[in-house]
Amino acid sequence: MLSDLTFGQYYETDSFVHRLDPRIKILILIAYVVFIFVARNFYAFLALAVFLVIAVIFSKIPFSNMIKSMKGILFIIVITVILNVFFYKGETQTVLFWIITKEALIFSAYMALRLIILVMGSVLLTFTTTPVALTDGIESLLSPLKVIKFPVHELALVMSIALRFIPILMGEADRIIMSQKARGADFDSGNVISRAKAMIPVLIPLLVSAFRRAEELGDAMDSRCYSSSAVRTKYKKLKLSARDLVATLVSIIIFVSVIFLNGLGGV
Amino acid sequence: MQIISKGLTFTYNREADFHRQALQGVDLTINEGDFFGIVGETGSGKSTFIQHLNGLIKVQGGSLWVGDFNLAPTDKQGKKQYKKMLKQLRHKVGMVFQYPEYQLFAETVFEDVAFGVKNFFPTLSDEEIEKRVAKAIDLVGLDYNKVKNKSPFELSGGQKRRAAIAGILVSEPEVLVLDEPVAGLDPVGKKRLMSLLHTLHDTGIVKTIVIVSHDMDEISENVNRVALFCGGRAVKVCTPKELFSQKDESSSRLGLPVTAYVSEKLNEVGVELSSDFKTENFIKDLVKKYKETV
Ligand SMILES: Nc1ncnc2c1ncn2[C@@H]1O[C@H](COP(=O)(O)OP(=O)(O)OP(=O)(O)O)[C@@H](O)[C@H]1O
Ligand SMILES: [Mg+2]
Repeated sequence: MLSDLTFGQYYETDSFVHRLDPRIKILILIAYVVFIFVARNFYAFLALAVFLVIAVIFSKIPFSNMIKSMKGILFIIVITVILNVFFYKGETQTVLFWIITKEALIFSAYMALRLIILVMGSVLLTFTTTPVALTDGIESLLSPLKVIKFPVHELALVMSIALRFIPILMGEADRIIMSQKARGADFDSGNVISRAKAMIPVLIPLLVSAFRRAEELGDAMDSRCYSSSAVRTKYKKLKLSARDLVATLVSIIIFVSVIFLNGLGGV
Repeated sequence: MQIISKGLTFTYNREADFHRQALQGVDLTINEGDFFGIVGETGSGKSTFIQHLNGLIKVQGGSLWVGDFNLAPTDKQGKKQYKKMLKQLRHKVGMVFQYPEYQLFAETVFEDVAFGVKNFFPTLSDEEIEKRVAKAIDLVGLDYNKVKNKSPFELSGGQKRRAAIAGILVSEPEVLVLDEPVAGLDPVGKKRLMSLLHTLHDTGIVKTIVIVSHDMDEISENVNRVALFCGGRAVKVCTPKELFSQKDESSSRLGLPVTAYVSEKLNEVGVELSSDFKTENFIKDLVKKYKETV
């Protein structure tokens, strides 16, 4: 079932990571992604992986859930690795099939590792942060851009609506799939093309219902006199705490150590 | 086809830790020829149960037989065999979901209704398909020649629902299962849909009908047997008359059909009526009582 997809869905529990300020989590994730691409050798990667493992432990999210969330992008990782293996230009002699070099293999392995920890880091953010907190965090981080008339609030609203609709549309897709199955639709046999075709009876009703919902939501907002330019207050104000300081310090230590470990040598 | 469920259990999201048991052992038999009602509070597991009836939900615990189909997957059975069985089963057991109009997708009503036949009988000739589609659209009371080339999205809400039901009837199921089929329809639309179901049942086009409903009048008027669901179990399986004349905690929360309510009030002032709660019989009984006393 679609709704079994764990990717990106908030995981309800109370933990150190859950309680962190969303802005801090977002900033740490951005820095983390940057350092994933800064890391150049095994030890640096190890430091980043250890950081991720610690974060997962402190988030109380079962490792099995983290692993499951990788299912969706496994395909992308495999494709990336294959492309890299064949097209990376190495200098040493080939080791396999005359065209694959040792560098290509190592480079691809690092690439796969990068993608995996990148996705896991992002998933950890969405697992531990409610969509509302996430958009609040982004809105707050982007608020300096208001000075140059960037529509920060509108952007945050669009994001929060989109995030809010994901589970609803997934549930809807489940229902539509069921009702088409009841009419004999077969979604899991045949080749790629016939499978894609089989999705049409699902996608069209889903689109229709997404538009219907969007219209209804717009009407509901209009009828309550919603205006994006109104000055509004927040029910939950974001506030930094000692917890956030600790998380920031730990992250800085890890990131600095990545730089040092990079000094041990390349690839 | 007779439907026999024994100790059927089901849990959503079994592996996640927010799972909850939606069915806690449903024991229920629906006989061939029944016009069967399922009632119960919201969340009592009605929809979950009926989705089992054509294999949309896999049996997790207990047993479920629909005619000769054993829906609990056995180890001996290969995956392929199971899928083949499901296809046969789904053509015999038609399922009309709540708000079936949300499943419409094709460019024309014709194409949409034809979807089921084409899936179940891929070898059928075009003429045969057209014949069946025309029959199904006629059955639900739409004008075949008028609607066949229309987009399903141009129809009115009630017409959409009829078109969607035609899309199920087209595969000529023996058992028709409907989840709150009249929800959201106007009173006239409700009546017409119910009389459509009656016609289907009386003429034997559909042998068995199973209907989930929150409307007690509809239940008392139409069904011959009814199951009351509560907390994931069928706590009572009886006739509507029995259901609405017994007074205990589980049925008092249901509410009563108008006829049962009136006879209860009459009872309080000493007028004993003995009919079932179908309006027709109720009125007859009332007139008889009146004539006796005058
Ligand atoms: N897709 C789902 N995922 C998780 N839980 C579900 C899902 N569908 C139903 N449930 C839960 O299973 C239980 C039974 O639900 P079900 O839909 O069968 O009730 P129902 O009797 O049909 O109610 P209603 O009268 O409101 O339609 C409920 O507690 C519900 O929260
Ligand atoms: Mg239901």
